[in-house]
Amino acid sequence: MTPNMLLWTILLPAAVAVVCLLIPSRVRLLREGLALLASVVVFYLAYALFQVKNLEFRLPWMGQGISFDLRLYHFSSFILLGLAGFLFLITLYSTVKMKNHPRVREYYAYVFLSAALANGAVLADNFVPFLFFWEGLLLTLYGLISVGGKQSNRTAVKAFIISGFCDFCLILGIGILWTITGTLTMSQVSVKPEGLAAAGFVLMMIGAIGKAGAMPFHTWIPDAAIDAPVTFMALIPAAFEKLLGIYFLARITLDFFQLEKNSTLAILLMIIGAGTIVFAVFMALVQKDFKRLLSYHAVSQVGYMVLGIGTGVPIGIAGGIFHMINHAMYKCGLFLSSGSVEHRAGTTDLKKLGGLAREMPLTAFGFSVCALAISGVWPLNGFVSKEMVFHGALETGYTIFAVAAWVGAIFTFASFLKAGHSVFFGPRTSEVAKVKESEAAVFIPILILAILCIVFGVFNKLPLTNFIQPILEGHVEAGESIDFTAHALSLANPVAAISILCLLLALALHFYGWKRGDKKAYLASEPVHKFPVMKTVYDLAEARIFDLYEQGVIFLRKFSLALFKGIDRPIDFFYEKVVTAVGKAFTGVLSRAHSGHYANYLAWCIGGLVLIAALINMLIK
Amino acid sequence: MTIETITLLTIFVPIIGSLTVPLASLISKPARSAWSVLLGALTSFLPLLLLPTAFSGGETIIRKEFILGLDFILIIDPLSIFMSIVSSFVGFLIIVYSLGYIHHEENQNEYYLMVLLFIGAMMGLVYSGNLIFMYLFWEIIAICCWRLIGFYRLKDHILKADKAFLVTFFGAVVMLLGFIQIYGSTNSFDLTAMRGTMIPGSAVLLILFGMFSKSATVPLHTWLPDAGVAPTTVTALLHAAVLVKIGVYAYARIFLYTFKLPGDWPQAIPIVVVVSSLVAAAAATVETDFKRILAYSTVSQIGYIFLGFSVANEAGISGSLLFILMHGLAKAGLFLCAGIVIHATHKRDIREMGGLIKTMPITAIAFLACAFSVIGIPPFGGFFSKFLVIMGTVKAGMVWVAAVALFTAVLTMFYLLKVFSQVFLGEAKDSAPEKTKSMVFVVALLAVLSLVAGILVSYPAKLAEIATTQISWWVK
Repeated sequence: MTPNMLLWTILLPAAVAVVCLLIPSRVRLLREGLALLASVVVFYLAYALFQVKNLEFRLPWMGQGISFDLRLYHFSSFILLGLAGFLFLITLYSTVKMKNHPRVREYYAYVFLSAALANGAVLADNFVPFLFFWEGLLLTLYGLISVGGKQSNRTAVKAFIISGFCDFCLILGIGILWTITGTLTMSQVSVKPEGLAAAGFVLMMIGAIGKAGAMPFHTWIPDAAIDAPVTFMALIPAAFEKLLGIYFLARITLDFFQLEKNSTLAILLMIIGAGTIVFAVFMALVQKDFKRLLSYHAVSQVGYMVLGIGTGVPIGIAGGIFHMINHAMYKCGLFLSSGSVEHRAGTTDLKKLGGLAREMPLTAFGFSVCALAISGVWPLNGFVSKEMVFHGALETGYTIFAVAAWVGAIFTFASFLKAGHSVFFGPRTSEVAKVKESEAAVFIPILILAILCIVFGVFNKLPLTNFIQPILEGHVEAGESIDFTAHALSLANPVAAISILCLLLALALHFYGWKRGDKKAYLASEPVHKFPVMKTVYDLAEARIFDLYEQGVIFLRKFSLALFKGIDRPIDFFYEKVVTAVGKAFTGVLSRAHSGHYANYLAWCIGGLVLIAALINMLIK
Repeated sequence: MTIETITLLTIFVPIIGSLTVPLASLISKPARSAWSVLLGALTSFLPLLLLPTAFSGGETIIRKEFILGLDFILIIDPLSIFMSIVSSFVGFLIIVYSLGYIHHEENQNEYYLMVLLFIGAMMGLVYSGNLIFMYLFWEIIAICCWRLIGFYRLKDHILKADKAFLVTFFGAVVMLLGFIQIYGSTNSFDLTAMRGTMIPGSAVLLILFGMFSKSATVPLHTWLPDAGVAPTTVTALLHAAVLVKIGVYAYARIFLYTFKLPGDWPQAIPIVVVVSSLVAAAAATVETDFKRILAYSTVSQIGYIFLGFSVANEAGISGSLLFILMHGLAKAGLFLCAGIVIHATHKRDIREMGGLIKTMPITAIAFLACAFSVIGIPPFGGFFSKFLVIMGTVKAGMVWVAAVALFTAVLTMFYLLKVFSQVFLGEAKDSAPEKTKSMVFVVALLAVLSLVAGILVSYPAKLAEIATTQISWWVK
């Protein structure tokens, strides 16, 4: 393994992206074969690099401390492996799902370009190449959403501007950090977040959680669920952006800044995390579309990761990071199963679907496992990581955050009971004609992810010791234990008891709603939806009152108009009207002075000369 | 060829050549056009020969003695070489594009004469080391610009041309007063002899008038959007290659290379230019005329260039130099794309356009690529320049100014994507195909160059870095 191998993880997918763009649409097999092969090779590379762990690649680039540095260490190698895994699964899935898409060339190009940029962002060890890759993802984000269809441009622009805003905050944060530390090498930066550095921390944090899709930077995700291809949802918001955003958030809090437990900034992070969990899950609960419901969960679950990292205690941080990889697996699986349903049934409207489990047993099985995992059911992976986050939140002494997380757990399970019940179980609806199970390339990725959810839960020692614990080494006080496997699946503690109680509550809630809603599963959330105050809030949310982007656009328009009318037009008025009027009046006077007398003109000339001489004289003095 | 010969040729080939354009038209019209392209190509090729000199970082000064301090002085250093390469290259591409755009218009002799004289005077200005010669070339450019804006000879257009001329001329004359004031205290117009001199604040103010009026900075900017009545090629020339870059170049040459700024000026200028940048971006958001939006966008981006220079540290200066290159390529691309669209649809209001990506895909993609570069999205070149300018501003301790600049970038993103969506996406309202090959080729080339300049950024960055060190060893 030479350091150049790091470069290959970026260049290879980038090259494949270009080739995919050049292969004509009709040559399907070549493109799909190449894409699959390339994703396997990238995965192998990532696996090989994961074994190596430590590699550095350094290249001078632009001077001033800006160099093209890549660094592989345990954390980045873990993320690299994760990214490559999802790339492979999505590529496999896309061979069926995107087969007849009119813009399939572009689609594959964007997917592989995203992989190249994501790999680059993870490996970068200098803030400038990091930003280069990180912000470059805006392009593929825009591209992949716009592939979705005619209506998708609006959402693509929305995603682009929200993410762009977060990236610009990140740039400012990096500028502050550079000014304070004098270096751009990421592995050399470590400051206390005080004074200006605190501002830098907040700005960089916005960049990280904006990428991960936490509130209030999430609003494009539910829109994209409708407009963008489902494979995009499974790849980018569910997997890549979570891995990248949380990876970078962990880097910020662990490496670049020494975030202390229960400091103001840590509490800010926890508030964002807890707020994201609760608000997004309430939005998820009442959705009537399968994909849109999932997309709100993709937001809500980020809250657990942010909350975990914000606790600043080892078990919380480890829980947050573990939740990141767990979430990527089950949310990817969930989106893919919704894609499988869409593929066969042609709709993702919960009202129209029902009883598909018999016809699509494998999809139903994959969905069920992933849904139970996301709900935190024992002994799946979601249970383990959520417990760790609960423990971490309690350890800070702020019980309120743990309570928020539990509230999230109740409604997560409730909404998945609703979704599963509506789509796969319950009575078969007549709106959807008879369907059969999707092709192997569709259900295999779902099953792989479902099995991984089980493995990471039952054998949680494996990921925890291989992936998570090395990240925390060197970041905890000497002697403090970072072995979290001991009570990972233990049920005999109050935290686990409360969690299980939450699940039971969710079950009761669903059952109650289902009965009230004429035994229609998609109406199971209506009691919450119609609850007095909640209804008003939901109505406002439907009207996009809480959508930072929509409000921001209105603000930008008004602000621009104010500046235009208040500054630009008055200036122009001065030139167009005032100057010309004054000029006309002045020349009017002058023209009257044109009497035709030679002596007069001479006097004018001399007067002018004296004036100029005086002026020059004045300036020279 | 010696450095001296190359430089003199760079200046005088286009200036004298421009006067031969009407003669060439006596042979035939195609001969005239070919001759113009040849002159343009030669002008953009000659400064490339100076690249090795630039990379070695040296400075050559050529001096022809004359009375009254009016020595003809040329400064050949990385800064002037960089600037002349960028301007002449973009200028050359615009001449190639003009072949298609202007071929059915009248008065083409005048057009090519003025364009070449324009570029030639720019070369003269870039290499000038004497304030008075700088002023001379400055005004030659103003005259060319005046003729070119009023090219279609409509009454309304001529008024706009007069407006442009009067505003920039007023600024230039005020600047000349500043030069005279400097002469009063130093007894010299020779920039090379005055390096490191502190000049009075009133002179700074007077000179800034000239720079701001030429580089269309608020509050001396409204002539630039109005100048959009000119043929699109001319607008592109004004915005991307020559006119608005004069002010920023003069800033670098006069306030960074030569003089020291007194008192609070180093703190005040960044605030003025960032406000200019913001106001212009806001105006671009409100406007609906295709070319006016792009014009305001130029005003806004020029603010960044001034910002990088005015914070006067390594990151800022090299960022601004890169910005001149990146903005030149991308903005020329945007205007020329707009030219193709306007040429084909005969409309200028973006609300009346739509769906053009179907009939003109290359133009659409080129427009998007150039827009990304202007916004500052990697891997396009604009990312690096904007990033360095922002970094420079933060490093100078002006975090709030940097924040406003980034907010402006959000606005830029907003209005450029809006333009793209309205013009190229949505329902098709015209079925206007891309016609002339030379036009499409040029916009595609500019888009590709914007990308290449980003991916291979280390080369221009190296040159910018050398130029920065060359300029700022007096400042530091």
